[in-house]
Amino acid sequence: MIEVLPESAGSGTGSGALLEVENLHVEFHTRTGVAKAVNGVTYSVDAGETLAVLGESGSGKSVTAQTIMGILDIPPGKIAGGAIRFRGVDLLKLPEDERRKIRGEGIAMIFQDALSALNPVFPVGWQIAEMFRIHRGMSRADAKKKAIELMDRVRIPAAKDRVNDFPHQFSGGMRQRIMIAMSIALDPEVLIADEPTTALDVTVQAQIMELLAELQRDSNMGLILITHDLGVVADVADKIAVMYGGRIVENAPVHELYRNPTHPYTKGLLESIPRVDLKGQELYAIKGMPPNLLQMPTGCAFHPRCPYKQEKCVSEVPPLHTISGTRSSACHFWREVLDGDAQ
Amino acid sequence: MGRYAIRRLLQLIPVLLGTTFLINFMVWQLPGDPFAARCGQRACPDSYISAMREQFALDQPILVQYWHFLKNLLSGDLGVNFNQVSVATQLADAWPITIRLALMAVAFEAIVGIAAGVLSGLKRGGFLDNVITISTLLMLSLPVFVTGFILQWLLGVQLQWINPTVSPEAPLSELVIPAFVLASLNLAFTARLTRTSIVENRRSDYVRTAIAKGMTNKRVVAVHLLRNSLIPALTFLGTEVGSLMSGAIVTEGIFNIHGIGGLLFSAINNQDFTIVVPVTSLLVLIYLVTNLLVDLLYGVLDPRIRYE
Repeated sequence: MIEVLPESAGSGTGSGALLEVENLHVEFHTRTGVAKAVNGVTYSVDAGETLAVLGESGSGKSVTAQTIMGILDIPPGKIAGGAIRFRGVDLLKLPEDERRKIRGEGIAMIFQDALSALNPVFPVGWQIAEMFRIHRGMSRADAKKKAIELMDRVRIPAAKDRVNDFPHQFSGGMRQRIMIAMSIALDPEVLIADEPTTALDVTVQAQIMELLAELQRDSNMGLILITHDLGVVADVADKIAVMYGGRIVENAPVHELYRNPTHPYTKGLLESIPRVDLKGQELYAIKGMPPNLLQMPTGCAFHPRCPYKQEKCVSEVPPLHTISGTRSSACHFWREVLDGDAQ
Repeated sequence: MGRYAIRRLLQLIPVLLGTTFLINFMVWQLPGDPFAARCGQRACPDSYISAMREQFALDQPILVQYWHFLKNLLSGDLGVNFNQVSVATQLADAWPITIRLALMAVAFEAIVGIAAGVLSGLKRGGFLDNVITISTLLMLSLPVFVTGFILQWLLGVQLQWINPTVSPEAPLSELVIPAFVLASLNLAFTARLTRTSIVENRRSDYVRTAIAKGMTNKRVVAVHLLRNSLIPALTFLGTEVGSLMSGAIVTEGIFNIHGIGGLLFSAINNQDFTIVVPVTSLLVLIYLVTNLLVDLLYGVLDPRIRYE
């Protein structure tokens, strides 16, 4: 029951990354039409690697994560195509029962708002212990001991005294630590963190990010960090995938992205970060509104807001151009963007 | 929570004093002489009326009468009614039957109401959901006495599956239909309440978390979803126990059940206030106590509500 899939060492399929999302398409069927939330997203994460998925609300970053986890609401959601391979096995083709066993064991997830994501009527220790009781068949007493150990590990003070407290009795940061403790309970190989620090204040954000980075180092997890906050990403991520309108518009190792963005959207994002040396000047903002998923712009989804826009952008969807080994950009004029930046 | 419970219990005392005084005051102030019409076709002799008045202290001021009532109540002596039959005996005969009826009704509300609500909430928009939604709407729109007479006529008179009236011993089997009738309104409301909270909580973040934790669908529903969704239904059922008791008066009247409702009904007709006052006071007491219990239960069910 514990091992349902071949060990990663033995699997030789695909490119061999631990978790691969390939050409994923997800739609939402609503009364007003079909919203294409994810349009051909491809990314991968390996053991010990951190992938940051960056994008604004509605860019499809959370929907992709929910599809990986298998917690997408279907209907209205619909997986229209693609594959999600974990240790070489396509999760989308697995029966629900097999898939369930991977949740928590193989891939775990933490959510943005820990207060609503934790069950309000059960003690936090019970909720952590549930992982051991259900997945590992442990007794209540043993599972509770493990829960206390985990609460210690995520540095909740006086874990032993607080194990029977309820979520509402904790502060926001502590609640997110409990969420993290619950997600790492079974040593998952991939951890998806969906905006884990958005609901927290800045000092606590840093602590939570440090904790995540430390846990990742200790257990060599693959970490998918979903965020809209460029500041959160810089220190922990290895590589970044920028999403816009349900597509990946740029892939890059973290430092190269900050130094030389190759997509106008990424460039706009970077320029809209407040900087000390530009104090007193008006802060740059990307003009316009995020695209309406029910009526996507023709061609490049970003063209209505793009300073580099030309006729080609309206008529032709830009493919993801490979720039170098690990860099790619979905812009017809990525060279100009890159050169413009170098000036 | 212990201190809170004690404080709430102490608060019951002034409320009970106030309500029982009001009940005493109001029934004795009703127009008409309760003794004048007790001698059949002819008028009662003045000597009888004044003797009865003296026996039941009706010639005393209201406060003195109330004082007598309290004294008798606390000494456990409820006295006799206008026919010189012990009030305590009559109550002791009637209470068990009403309690049986009310408990069965509560069981109906809880089991059938919650089960229907959960099923229709989980299969929202499905066939079963439509059946349940329509039938609860029907139940909600019919007053209890209409439901009662219809079922009595249909099952008792036309189909003859049950006895149209309940025998004096009121065995459980004969109380099934009356209990269902008594429960019908609250049952329908419980089902709707449960359905709404199931539908609402199904999309909640903590249910999504439970799925992401790799819990089986059964466990997600039976543990994570139900535990939260039952809170409103259970508290509703608790608060309604008191009104169920008063609703029993109508149901007992329809099915000729010799419970507290029947007793109260005939006592009101005979203007026999020696019965009306203690029965009504007891109903008030039950109402207050169940409300207190519900408040305490709420704290147990939902840890976010804590009493200092």
